[in-house]
Amino acid sequence: MASARRINNILLREWEAIFRDLNSALFVTCLPVLILAQAMVVVWLLAHYGGEAVATSSVFMTAIARMAGAMPSTDGLHNVDMLRLLLLNQLPLYLLLVPAIVAVAFATFSILEEKLTQSLEPILATPVRTWELLLGKALSGAVPAIAATWVCAGLLVAGLHVLQWDHLLGWVMTASWYLALFLLTPAVALLSFLLGIIASPRAADSKAAQNIAILIILPVMALIGIQVTGQVWFTPILMLAISLAVIVIDIMALFLAVRLFRRETIVSGWR
Amino acid sequence: MGQSGTAPLVQTSGLTKKFGDLLAVENLTLAVEAGQILGLLGPKDAGKTTTLRMLAGIIAATSGQARVAGFDPSASPEKLHEMIGFLPESPGLYGKLSARRNLEYFAGFYRGIDGSRIEAQLKAVGLWERREDKIGSFSKGMKQRLALARALVHDPVVLLLDEPTAGLDPQAGRELRQMITTLREQGKAIILSTHNLPEAESLCDRIAVVHTRLLAMDTPRALRERLFQREIEVELQKPNELAYKSIKDLPYVKAAIIDGCLLRVELSEPETMQPNLIATLVKAGAKIMSVTEKRHSLEEIYLDLLHKEADGKR
Ligand SMILES: Nc1ncnc2c1ncn2[C@@H]1O[C@H](COP(=O)(O)OP(=O)(O)O)[C@@H](O)[C@H]1O
Ligand SMILES: [Mg+2]
Repeated sequence: MASARRINNILLREWEAIFRDLNSALFVTCLPVLILAQAMVVVWLLAHYGGEAVATSSVFMTAIARMAGAMPSTDGLHNVDMLRLLLLNQLPLYLLLVPAIVAVAFATFSILEEKLTQSLEPILATPVRTWELLLGKALSGAVPAIAATWVCAGLLVAGLHVLQWDHLLGWVMTASWYLALFLLTPAVALLSFLLGIIASPRAADSKAAQNIAILIILPVMALIGIQVTGQVWFTPILMLAISLAVIVIDIMALFLAVRLFRRETIVSGWR
Repeated sequence: MGQSGTAPLVQTSGLTKKFGDLLAVENLTLAVEAGQILGLLGPKDAGKTTTLRMLAGIIAATSGQARVAGFDPSASPEKLHEMIGFLPESPGLYGKLSARRNLEYFAGFYRGIDGSRIEAQLKAVGLWERREDKIGSFSKGMKQRLALARALVHDPVVLLLDEPTAGLDPQAGRELRQMITTLREQGKAIILSTHNLPEAESLCDRIAVVHTRLLAMDTPRALRERLFQREIEVELQKPNELAYKSIKDLPYVKAAIIDGCLLRVELSEPETMQPNLIATLVKAGAKIMSVTEKRHSLEEIYLDLLHKEADGKR
């Protein structure tokens, strides 16, 4: 009860700080939409102008074959629809960029703010527990990051409707997609936030700290690369396995963050 | 134990802190009762902040014991924090938030602090009129007052103040000292650190001179007598070994050195013995250009104390 009150206290002030700052407010709201819009434009362009030629090109042939194998019900679809589907099925992975970037930005913003104002020392002299402080901050970053991703997913569905690709929806909103959205996205958001917490005190400024975001973007891009070139297809089982792996990494990162977040280290190392 | 027989609110014994190989605080033993101000007086890097942080349960002691407001700071920091108010060296307030919001936020970590308590605190430090202003625009003195209000918002029984007046202009410093005096009258046990000798003298019931170790702890009055011996500097027209020899073994001369034309003499009773000293010098043929009285700087006192301690250990 007392913990909940203190966590809430932290959460509210973090949001106040973030949304008072125009840059970070724009960052959280606009960046996810830009990421999604850009992806959809690419999908549309490729399908529209590339069409049959791209769909049957050797570049995508293996991947499309693999997809057809994973989703036999796509049997009757023509080639261009198969290309659209292949590209659309990358989007749940691509959308992982949103929690990754938003959460790491929040983490670095939050830690650097405390570092610059030197406010951690008086906070540590209050009855707040270290884990409450950490959880309050993590929630303040993870909640908007996850929310932004879900909004993007909603916009994606709306976008398919606008493009009159509704008939493909059933093969986009698969079990894999729901796993990516409701399991992998929170796991990635948390991991990203924790990495931000771990790295920020060591970074000289927010630029340096946000470069850490690259670290988490790379594996996401790698996942897309693997699928789109036809190496593997992320079946629900595989997606579940990846999510669980990230959750395991989350737990390890949490232990590391709590260790690094010891009172003594904060006051000593963050001078 | 004090005269009243009450147990001290802050008590340490052999408190020691090492950062790796660096010994920051060594074997510190002290006690403070309700209604008392203890000053930790020491130069930069003397371990003042480290001591206060250990007492506040922010960092753990390497060895030794402490009891603050009935709690062991390293064992139960959360309970301890309900009972103590801590003013860090830098105010650590959020520049983009208003004075009221800053105070509300920190108050939010304690039980049952309502708006009227916040209001009373802001009024007590004279910031009620400015409550909605962002504190980024505040002067250093105003920030420090708000930080003090924050340390007091939960009505703690022990106050730990790290250099409360450092960097303030004289007027702001005076205001803050006034507030601290009021807090003593309210019966709080206060430990404050300072490198400012006059401040320690005027504010504290007892002064602990620290330089990693505790060098001396006493009332300002007793310390003054021990520490503030005066030195007389006699400038001669030319170096005169004979004059030096004539005075160096006099009973009231505690120490004397000659350095070219400068003769430095430490007297046990400067007021009464200075004329005798001059008469003796003149009799020995010294031509005196000037006589100046020098008070030891604080730095010299520390060094002096350190030397004495090192000598005593041998
Ligand atoms: N967190 C820390 N890590 C390493 N050394 C420290 C740390 N804090 C203080 N020190 C060292 O301990 C000594 C005492 O520091 P401090 O307590 O800040 O002194 P003061 O407050 O009297 O200036 C200094 O030599 C300082 O460099
Ligand atoms: Mg200090």
